[in-house]
Amino acid sequence: LRRCVISLDMRRIEESFRGIKNAIQAKDTFQNVTILSTSETLHSIKPLDVCCVTKNLLAFYVDRVFKDHQELSPQILRRISSIANSFLYMQKTLQQCQEQRLCRCSQEATNATRIIHDYYDQLEVRSAAIKSLGELDVFLAWIDKNHQGTSAA
Amino acid sequence: DGVAVLPAPQNLSVQSTNMKHVLTWSPVIVPGEIIHYSVEYQGEYESLYMSHIWIPSSWCSPTQGPECDITDDITATVPYSLRVRATLGSLTSAWSTLKHPFNRNSTILTPPGMEITKDGFHLVIKLEDLGPQFEFFVAYWKREPGAKEHVKMVRHGGIPVHLETVEPGAAHCVKVRTFVKAIGRHSAFSQTECIKVQGETLPL
Repeated sequence: LRRCVISLDMRRIEESFRGIKNAIQAKDTFQNVTILSTSETLHSIKPLDVCCVTKNLLAFYVDRVFKDHQELSPQILRRISSIANSFLYMQKTLQQCQEQRLCRCSQEATNATRIIHDYYDQLEVRSAAIKSLGELDVFLAWIDKNHQGTSAA
Repeated sequence: DGVAVLPAPQNLSVQSTNMKHVLTWSPVIVPGEIIHYSVEYQGEYESLYMSHIWIPSSWCSPTQGPECDITDDITATVPYSLRVRATLGSLTSAWSTLKHPFNRNSTILTPPGMEITKDGFHLVIKLEDLGPQFEFFVAYWKREPGAKEHVKMVRHGGIPVHLETVEPGAAHCVKVRTFVKAIGRHSAFSQTECIKVQGETLPL
């Protein structure tokens, strides 16, 4: 069964994240709480569910995290913009997979992403956004691993 | 007291070749004065979700010349809106916005430069260094009727790469094109160059 594999410039996205990781994580006031990292379920996602979870988590970041985070530093704003627009592009390429019905969502995939939303909702919105931004490397590493044939140019 | 109004920059346009993108505009002229400009951009994300947010360009906020290298700002394959305004002391003009958002997938891709050398019986190629986004598709063959064309993907320019070990006295030909995964496009092929192991590069 063909899998949905999307072409990504991961090198540039990871570079952007490395440039903001320390500054963002320093603002995270709830160090003993995690949003993405607790979801061990991310690592138990089956290959067939990768597309759905990728789509759901891209939407999580694009529709919630980046919007809920307010950034004043132009340097950090630039890098968040770079990641946000790259995620937007990835959503478009995933759209093609959806049209070819390669992006089905099993119950486990839906549960995995709902857990992340639940954790997000348990925190005050700015804190939740900061924490999720700081945990982007968890998501990027998962994308890199699961969309193997497409890592950095 | 009449506040002199600074005209907004006009004729904004983007020239983009091999993933290097430059925004240019017509200079604002005030005799005897030096005008500065500020450039800002919005990716599609900002225009869709945070339209009030404009991001100062990495290198041109402010700048003096009527152009701006926006390569480091255009980092995703989505449409980007760009705007410029002029400043003179405390005076600032209105913003001028690029008529059509720019997407890097419209960049002009030129065939890459290449240098073919031989090291004994080894054919070696060195490709133009166009930056980390570029891969190279090298096609090479022995110049004789019915010769098979071989292909090699080269990940980086600027580094000599061994192509093939050749027989003495045989002429071999090479052509190359670039591929940019970030936009999913490739350039046209370069001119074909041929070389004979003992001889110099032969004209076609």
